[in-house]
Amino acid sequence: MIMRSPVIPKQALPTKVFHWISLVSLFLMMTSGLQIYNANPVFGGRGGIHIPPVFGLGGWLAGGRHWHFAMMWIFVLNLLWYGIYVLLTRRWQHRYISGKDVKALLVSQNTKRKNYAWHRFVYTLLIPILLLSIFTGIGMYKPAQFYWIVDSFGGWDALRITHFMAVPSTLILGWIHSQLGRKVGGDRLLDSMFWRNN
Amino acid sequence: MSQEPKQKSSNTELEIDDDTDIVPRRRFLTLAGAGLLTIGFGSLAEGLVGGLTEPINQQVESLLFQTQKLVPEFSISAIEPDKLIVNSFRGTPAINPNAYRLTIDGEVNNPLSLSLDDLQKLPFTSIVIRHVCVEGWAAIVQWGGVRLQDLLAIAKPSPQSKYVYFYSADGYYESWDLDSVIHPQTLMAYQKNGQPLSPENGAPLRLASPVKLGYKLSKWVTRIQLTSKLDEKRGYWEDLGYEWYAGL
Repeated sequence: MIMRSPVIPKQALPTKVFHWISLVSLFLMMTSGLQIYNANPVFGGRGGIHIPPVFGLGGWLAGGRHWHFAMMWIFVLNLLWYGIYVLLTRRWQHRYISGKDVKALLVSQNTKRKNYAWHRFVYTLLIPILLLSIFTGIGMYKPAQFYWIVDSFGGWDALRITHFMAVPSTLILGWIHSQLGRKVGGDRLLDSMFWRNN
Repeated sequence: MSQEPKQKSSNTELEIDDDTDIVPRRRFLTLAGAGLLTIGFGSLAEGLVGGLTEPINQQVESLLFQTQKLVPEFSISAIEPDKLIVNSFRGTPAINPNAYRLTIDGEVNNPLSLSLDDLQKLPFTSIVIRHVCVEGWAAIVQWGGVRLQDLLAIAKPSPQSKYVYFYSADGYYESWDLDSVIHPQTLMAYQKNGQPLSPENGAPLRLASPVKLGYKLSKWVTRIQLTSKLDEKRGYWEDLGYEWYAGL
């Protein structure tokens, strides 16, 4: 039964570094963001819907802002260098969702192939969502300089809500991503992304 | 389903590569624990993180800022009168408008002491801008008053002055970079939404500008002092740990 011998998945070192920094910086961005959110929730103001303080990084508003505006650089620059890497190595051609995956999702009878296509779809989708959070974040950080970002969302509250939505959407997609990863490649795939040297 | 036997044979667990039940739960708990620890220790270290990154952020912020570039304004109908929240750190001070004087001193060639009458005789400027609070809320407001630019043109700052302190009747104090002070939309305002400024909004005179966060926009200003360097004390909230530049 030669076919049973599993292929050991391998990840390029830059991919692993990118994945790690994304995970950690996103966690710090989201928790410090929730700290800032709690100062005056966009949903209902001071008497509105607060996040349990245990999820807020920074201890108080000024501390949440310190963390948020420190980690934004790492979060953004990480996406930037990886984007350049993906372009230069042409990984975008074969490592992200493609026409073949769409076709598999629509017509394939092969469950494994379909799961794989879903997996690629979900982690590809995370990228525009993260880019949108940067775009809305710039608008909130510098609304006078980048007034056109605020205008493009129709106003301040709409911009705030869109920026906030990065948290639930990343959490949900991130969770689906981890589950699909396990389904597609099991712990071998997980280990290849996080720990194993190859 | 059969967790018991698996846990007992924990010696062999490392070899079960694709165990689907126990390992993820353990991993999840490890991750949750690591997350909470990070929040705990990270919150203790917020001052350190701010101290390390604030100078970099401030450089980028002041590099982005252009002293003469106007921020687009809103129409009168866009004003949001109910959205402006009244914040103060020590209530509203009682000020007799007839006895009120605004002092402009420090490193200036022509120190001033102005009454409200004097201020109202100076050229009037009106702006309709978004007032943004560090807490996250914002309101579109009309402010009317005198440009800081015009006041300083009379007071004549000496060439080495780089910063401006604003002292308020309630003990609140703030300091700004001179570039933001002489921005054409930075005002000493005595009017809000077409009406004379109310005491809780800062009457008789307050700062108003689209280029700084709300805590920089001091109310009840009585003294403006120009200086070539910042003190240990840089502002009420700044001295507690908030960002100094706070530009928008």
